[in-house]
Amino acid sequence: MIKNDIILNTIDNGIIILDKDLNILAWNYWLEIRTNIKEDDIKNKNICEEFSYINAKKLKRKIKAVLITNNPSYYNVDPHKFLIDIKTSSIIDDIFDSMQQDITIVPYDVENKLVCLYIYDKTSLHKTNYKLEKLNDELRDLSNRDPMTHAFNRRYFGEFSKRMLSLAKRSEQCVCICIIDIDKFKNINDNYGHSIGDKVIILLAKKLEEYVRTSDIVARFGGEEFVIFLHNTSLGCAHKISEKIRSNIQRLEVDTSTNRISFTVSIGLSQYEETKDSNNIEHTLKRADDALYVAKESGRNQVVIAE
Amino acid sequence: MKDKLTLDEDEIDCLQELMNISYGSATAAIAEIIDRFATLSIPHIRTASLEEFKEYFKNKLEENNSHYVTSQLINGTISGETMFIIGEESACNLGKEFDLEDDEIIEEELKDVVLEISNIITSTTLSRFSEQIEASITFSPPSIKVFQSSDEFNDSYVNEYNYIIIISTVIKFKEQNIKGELLILSKDDSILYIKEALNKVLDEY
Repeated sequence: MIKNDIILNTIDNGIIILDKDLNILAWNYWLEIRTNIKEDDIKNKNICEEFSYINAKKLKRKIKAVLITNNPSYYNVDPHKFLIDIKTSSIIDDIFDSMQQDITIVPYDVENKLVCLYIYDKTSLHKTNYKLEKLNDELRDLSNRDPMTHAFNRRYFGEFSKRMLSLAKRSEQCVCICIIDIDKFKNINDNYGHSIGDKVIILLAKKLEEYVRTSDIVARFGGEEFVIFLHNTSLGCAHKISEKIRSNIQRLEVDTSTNRISFTVSIGLSQYEETKDSNNIEHTLKRADDALYVAKESGRNQVVIAE
Repeated sequence: MKDKLTLDEDEIDCLQELMNISYGSATAAIAEIIDRFATLSIPHIRTASLEEFKEYFKNKLEENNSHYVTSQLINGTISGETMFIIGEESACNLGKEFDLEDDEIIEEELKDVVLEISNIITSTTLSRFSEQIEASITFSPPSIKVFQSSDEFNDSYVNEYNYIIIISTVIKFKEQNIKGELLILSKDDSILYIKEALNKVLDEY
């Protein structure tokens, strides 16, 4: 005869047998050693009263589903993380405080309305996934951002602006593009060296991020040129934002070894218009660039709106 | 090979009838588990190449901004995969049907509810279907992913299939705006088994 007790108590996962009222009828050795609760001390007690963090309504529904369909039901670790809180704190690795579990509920005795819960330890897998996701985020950031200023790069701007333009069109919102270029940047480099030039660019990127909303993005298009995508912004508002940027920038100062220098920017601004840009944000960019050229030609340190 | 893997009109009719019977078990189970009355539309059956399926799937996702998509592997005499696709608004309404409070209508909880309904429909439907065609099957735990747009659809998602039977049905809950679609995708060997089983049923009647 097969001794089920041996399987129950040597298997490398937790096993609980519950009745339909959530009373514990079996609690295997795996759980005993991990929770420090003996089966005799927990038998015939309600699992949700013993572990108050378990959502009784949800567990009952899942058990009902198992008994009615006579098929397994699953607690995915994604929304639940764990059924029974088992601490896994480690000195060298503290990603998860508790064991990450997958739970499968299977029919055990349909006639007597008993189910069996299998608890699988998925902590190691979830740690690996967590680390991979983090690395992926870092990689994504590296490929989307300019290494010096951490502003988004031109490639990301292209993807983002296309996606946002299609959303804006669907919700009938305005979109504006702002191109910002540092005035006489060559003079800064020539007079104070490239390290000061870089300092100016980094400061400008940092300040532009501060001046716009989190829903907008700032991208470095190369050299001393930055572009801002203003989402859900009318031309009037975009003009006010551009003016604020321009006037705030001229008050900034950068330390050199001998003195403090200030700088100015010129800004070209355009609003996406279906008739002029025919579904192509590059055309809006081109019009903003033309406006920037006019701003430069008209004496710099000013905002010009594209026609 | 393509001819062997496509279903003729009689076979499609027969499959549709068997699936209809199977869906009856699913609606009865849902009614008993959550005390709500759901209807499943008459299954729409079509066979498709992998490319056609990908196009079909992408079109589904383009209808709305955000979609919950579950997938569950089937193994045994017939093997393949089931997918359940539900838009965000429907998923929120489904959460309410599962008695979630307003503050519980969050992505994590909705994922669980969608996984649960998908598991109920899949397991009851396919268990009943496999009984009818004398097949034995098991299910893997379902997984879920939230797609914000069709751009996120990974091209390697369903590479195991050359030819696919798409059985799609729409689940609707009375007085609630809930619309979900269940897709059953079967692998090439299974299509041959299903064809044979359908012809056996057709010969009997």
